[in-house]
Amino acid sequence: MSCSIELKNVSQSFQSHFHASYTSEKSASTITLFENLDLSISQGQSYAITGPSGAGKSSLLMLLSGLEKPTTGQGLYINDSPIKDDKVLTLDSLRSEIGFIFQQFHLLPELTALHNIALPLKLRGDKQAIKKATHWLAKVGLSDRANHKPSQLSGGEQQRVAIARALVFSPKFIFADEPTGNLDQHNADEIADILFTCCNENNAGLVIVTHNSLLASKANNIYSLTNGELTKNHSTKEKQVASC
Amino acid sequence: MLKHHLQLAWHYFQQEYSQPHQKLLRWVQAILMTFIVTLTLSSNTIQQYLQGNLQNLLGADAVLTQKDKLTTKQLTSLANFSDNVVTTLQINATLTFNGKWQDAKLKAVGNDYPLQGQLLTSTSLQSPATATNGGPIAGNIWLDSRLLASLTLLIGDAINLGEQTFIVSRVLIHEPDRLMEGHNVAMRALVNIIDMEKLAFSADLIQYRYLISAEKSQVQQLIDWQQEQLPAAQIHHKLGAHPLALFWQRTENFLGLASIILFFMAAIAIEQIAQVHLKKEQYFSAICMSLGASKSTGVQLSLFKWLINVLVLIPVVAILSGIFHWLVVSWLSGTFAEITWQLNVWLMAKTITTSVLLFAVFHAPVWLTLWQTSVAKLFHQNQKSISLGLVKISALVVLVLVAVNYSDNGLLTLMLVSSILITILLIAAISWTVLTLGEKATQQLSGLVPFTLFMMKQRLLSKSTQILGIGLSTFLLLFTLMFLKDLGDTMTSHQRTHDGNVMVSQASQPQMKAIKQWSKDNEINLRQSKAYFYAKVVKINNQALNKFATKPSDSLATLSQSIRLHWTQTMPTVNRLVQGKWWKKDTKNWQQVSIEEEVMTDLGLTLGDKLTFIIHQQSYTFTVTASHVYKPGAGSITFWVQMPQAAVQHINAPQYHMASLELNDEQLPLLGQLWQEHPTIRMVSLQKLTQQFDAILAIITKVISGFALMIVLLAIIVILSSINALEGKERKKNSVIMSFGFLKNTCLQLNIIEWLITALIIATGAIAGTYLTGMLIYQSQFSLPYQPSFLILFMTLTIILSAVTLLGVYASRHNLKSSVKQLMADV
Repeated sequence: MSCSIELKNVSQSFQSHFHASYTSEKSASTITLFENLDLSISQGQSYAITGPSGAGKSSLLMLLSGLEKPTTGQGLYINDSPIKDDKVLTLDSLRSEIGFIFQQFHLLPELTALHNIALPLKLRGDKQAIKKATHWLAKVGLSDRANHKPSQLSGGEQQRVAIARALVFSPKFIFADEPTGNLDQHNADEIADILFTCCNENNAGLVIVTHNSLLASKANNIYSLTNGELTKNHSTKEKQVASC
Repeated sequence: MLKHHLQLAWHYFQQEYSQPHQKLLRWVQAILMTFIVTLTLSSNTIQQYLQGNLQNLLGADAVLTQKDKLTTKQLTSLANFSDNVVTTLQINATLTFNGKWQDAKLKAVGNDYPLQGQLLTSTSLQSPATATNGGPIAGNIWLDSRLLASLTLLIGDAINLGEQTFIVSRVLIHEPDRLMEGHNVAMRALVNIIDMEKLAFSADLIQYRYLISAEKSQVQQLIDWQQEQLPAAQIHHKLGAHPLALFWQRTENFLGLASIILFFMAAIAIEQIAQVHLKKEQYFSAICMSLGASKSTGVQLSLFKWLINVLVLIPVVAILSGIFHWLVVSWLSGTFAEITWQLNVWLMAKTITTSVLLFAVFHAPVWLTLWQTSVAKLFHQNQKSISLGLVKISALVVLVLVAVNYSDNGLLTLMLVSSILITILLIAAISWTVLTLGEKATQQLSGLVPFTLFMMKQRLLSKSTQILGIGLSTFLLLFTLMFLKDLGDTMTSHQRTHDGNVMVSQASQPQMKAIKQWSKDNEINLRQSKAYFYAKVVKINNQALNKFATKPSDSLATLSQSIRLHWTQTMPTVNRLVQGKWWKKDTKNWQQVSIEEEVMTDLGLTLGDKLTFIIHQQSYTFTVTASHVYKPGAGSITFWVQMPQAAVQHINAPQYHMASLELNDEQLPLLGQLWQEHPTIRMVSLQKLTQQFDAILAIITKVISGFALMIVLLAIIVILSSINALEGKERKKNSVIMSFGFLKNTCLQLNIIEWLITALIIATGAIAGTYLTGMLIYQSQFSLPYQPSFLILFMTLTIILSAVTLLGVYASRHNLKSSVKQLMADV
C-alpha cells in the first residue's frame, strides 16, 4: 500500500516585471524554469534534488507538494489505499498528508520544544499530543530540552525539533528545503542521519532540495536540475547495488 | 555631513511614507495634536473672555447684590467706602402683548445709570447703537431686540405690565453692568426706577444691586464690612474671581479628564507602533554599521526621519485646530454672550511644541536602543532588549506629566489613574484566568477552540500587550460613553419627572391665592402646592460656607445663592429617609433640618452639623438631624432642605409656593391672562421646559458625539497598531500551520476564534473596570448616583464582542496572506 506523486509533462514559468533603466516604463518578460518535466515520487523512498541557485529546485518542490500549480502539465497523487475508491487524485488532496522542513527551522518562538512538536497534533485535536510529542523528542535526542524555547536551543537542536514536528503526525511525504543549510558539517551529518532514519522508520517519502552533495548522496534517488533539465544521477546506494 | 543626513532622512521618509506603521503614527499624532491645540485655544479664549468680562462688564469697581433694600444706616456706611453708589433693581417678570407672553429680566435704573461703561441703545432694530446717559424716562420701556421680535412689538407700541402701561421707546443693545448675566441668555427690559415703585411688585421678589465706585483699598474694606454686616449679600469686585469661575473650573476638570483619557489611548497606540518601529530601525541601523557607518549616523537618521514625519503634520494640525476652535467658539457664543474668535498663534505654536516634545519622549526608547545597537544584533536576533520596558516607562512618565499639567483636580486625576491601573490588573488577571482555565478544561477535547486556547496560553506574554492595549482603550471608551450617557439620563430624569404641564417655581402668598382662584374659575387641575421660605446658608459649624466647602460642586454653587427652605410635619411622600431620624409630628424642637443626600456628600456634611441661614435678614441656626433622597412616583416637587412645621411660627419672612398645574390645550391661552395680572409669577410650561431640556440635551449630544468620535478613532488606531505590531509573528504562525497540511480556511477560523476569545476578555475586563470606576468616581466627583443597568451591560458586552472581533478579523486579513513558500524563501 504505497502512495506516489507524479508530475507529468509539467512546465513552470512566471512573469517578471521590471523598470527599464532609462525610462519610467514598466516591462514584463516570461522566465521559464523548466519544460515538459516528468517525475515520480514514491512513499518510503528518499529523493534529493540538486542544482545551481535559481534553477527552480524550490519551485519543483512546491509543485510536488501541490502548493503551486504548474503552468502546463499535471500533477497527480496516486493513492493505493484499499479503503479509497478514487486511486488517482489531484495534488490538492495531498495537503493533509505532507510535512515540511525549512532551512530557517521556523519554530514558533513562544512555544517550548515539546509544544512546538505537539502543535500539529493539537491542531488535529489529538488527545495524545503531548505523549506523542515527548516520544518524538526522545527520538531526536532532545528529551532533556523539552521545556526550552527555540531561542535557548542551538541551530542543530532547533532543526531536530523541526524534524520531529514535521514527522509527528505521520505524513506520507516530507519536503525539506536545504535542511542543513544553516548548520556546520558535524551537525549537518547528524541531522541528515536523523532525517533519513526517521522518514525510513515512518515509511515517509522524503524529498530534499539541497546544494550539499554529501546530504544528497544519502538519498535513494538523486536528481539534478540544471538549465531546465532534470537528470537522474546514480545514487551511492544504487552504485553500491551495482557494484555488488 | 548634516545636510547629507537630512537628505538621506528625507529620502527614507518618502520611501516609508505609506508603510502601515508610519501611517498609524501620523494619524495618532495628528488626532491628538488637533485635540490638544483646539482644547488649549478654546480654554484660553474662555479664560480671556471671563477676565475681560469681569473687567468690562462689572460696570463698577464693586457690585453688592441682595434681596432686600439697604437701610439708610447701611447706605450711610456704604458711603464711607465709596464716592458714588448707583442703585438698580431687577425682577423676573413675564411681559404679555396681543395674547403672547415672554419672560424677561426687568431692570429699573435712574438717571445716574450707568456708573461705569456705556449704555448702548438704538431707535429701531436697524439703527446704529448710540451711547445713552440715564435709563428710560418714566412711562417708557426699552426692550432688547429678541424680546421685541418674540412679542412682535414695534417702537411706539404700548405694552401692559400689571396695572401700568408702557411705551416701547428704544431698543436696548448693551448694559455695562451685565456681568451677572454674562452667561444668562434671558431676554431683557429696562424701565425707570420710579415706575418700579408704581408697579408695586412684592418687595421680596426684587433683587437690589448697588453699583459702587471705590479705590482698591476701599474695595477690601467694603468686603470686610459686607461679611460682617450683610453676610447674606453677594459681592463681586474687580479684585476677585469671575462668578463663572467655579462653573468653568468644573468644565476644565471635565476637559482635563478627557485629555488624560485621550493621552492614555494615544500612548497605547504609540507604544504598539514603537515596537514595529524599533525592530525596523534597529535592523536598518545595524546594516548601516556593518557597512562602516558610525553609530550616531543611525540615530541621526532616525531622529531626522521622525522629525520630518511630525513637521509635515503641523500645517494640517494648525489648519484643523483653527477650524475646530472657530466651531467651538461659535457654539459657545450661545452660553458666553459676545465671545469672539481670535487665533492665538503664539499659544498654538507653544502647544504644538509641547506636544511634539511629549511625542519625542514616547519615541525616545527607539533612539536609546539604536544607540545601544551593534552589528552583533544582526547575528543574534533573539538578543534580549531593554527597549520594551523603556517604552513603557517613558509612556508612563509622559502620562503622569500630562495628567499633572492638564488636570486641576488632583483627586479626580488620582482616581482615574488608579482606575486605569486597576483595570490593567483586572484585564491581566482575567486574561491569565480565562486562558489557563480554558486551556486546562479543554485539554482533553479536540478541535480548533482548544487549540486556540492552547496557543493563546502559550503566547500569553506577546498577546498580553495587545489584549491590554485594546482592553484599556475599550474601557476608556466605555467609561466615557457611560459617563456622558448617565449625565444625559440624570438630566432627563431631573427634567421629565415634573408632573403637570405647567410648573410654578415661585408664587408669593397673594399670587398663590390668585392661582388657586384662577384654576378654580377655569376648572384647571392644581396638582400640588408646597410652601417655602428663601434662605441663604452663610455658615456651617460657625465657619463661612466658602471656607467650609472648597471643592466645586452643583450643591455649593446653588447654596452660594438663596435656596428654598420647605417645612413639613411628616416625611413627604416624594422622599425617602437615608440617614438619621425624621422629626415627630408636632415636635416643638423646630431648629432641625433634613438635607438631601447629594448635598450632604458634596459639602461633606454629617448628622449633627449646624447650619446658619439668613432668612429675611434674620439669622437662624439649625442642626442636621436627617438626610433624604427623592423618591419617584408621587409627584415631582422636592426640596433640598426641609424643617419641621413648628419653625414657621418662629420665622418672620415672606412665604412662597411651588406648584404644578395640568392645563389642556384650550386652557393654555388663559396663562396670558394670569401673567398680565401677576407678571412676576415664575411659571414655566412643559413645552418650554422641554425646549430648554432639548437645547441642553443637544449640547450634551454634540459633546458626546464629538468626544466619542475621537475615542473611537483612537481605539481603531490602537487595534490596528496592535495588529501591525504582531503581524510578522502572525504571518509566520499561519505559514507554519499551513506547512502541517492545513488550508487558509483553518487559519481564518483560528483567527476568528482567537479574536472572539480576545474580545471576550477585553469586554469582561472593560465592563468590570468601568463598573469599579463608576463606583469610585461618580458620587465623589460628579455627584451622580451610580446605578448600572445589567441589560445595558449585557448589550454593551455583545456590541464590544462583535465590534472587536469584526474589526480584529478584518484588520488582520493581511496575516492570512501567508504561505509555505514564504517560509522557504525566508533564508
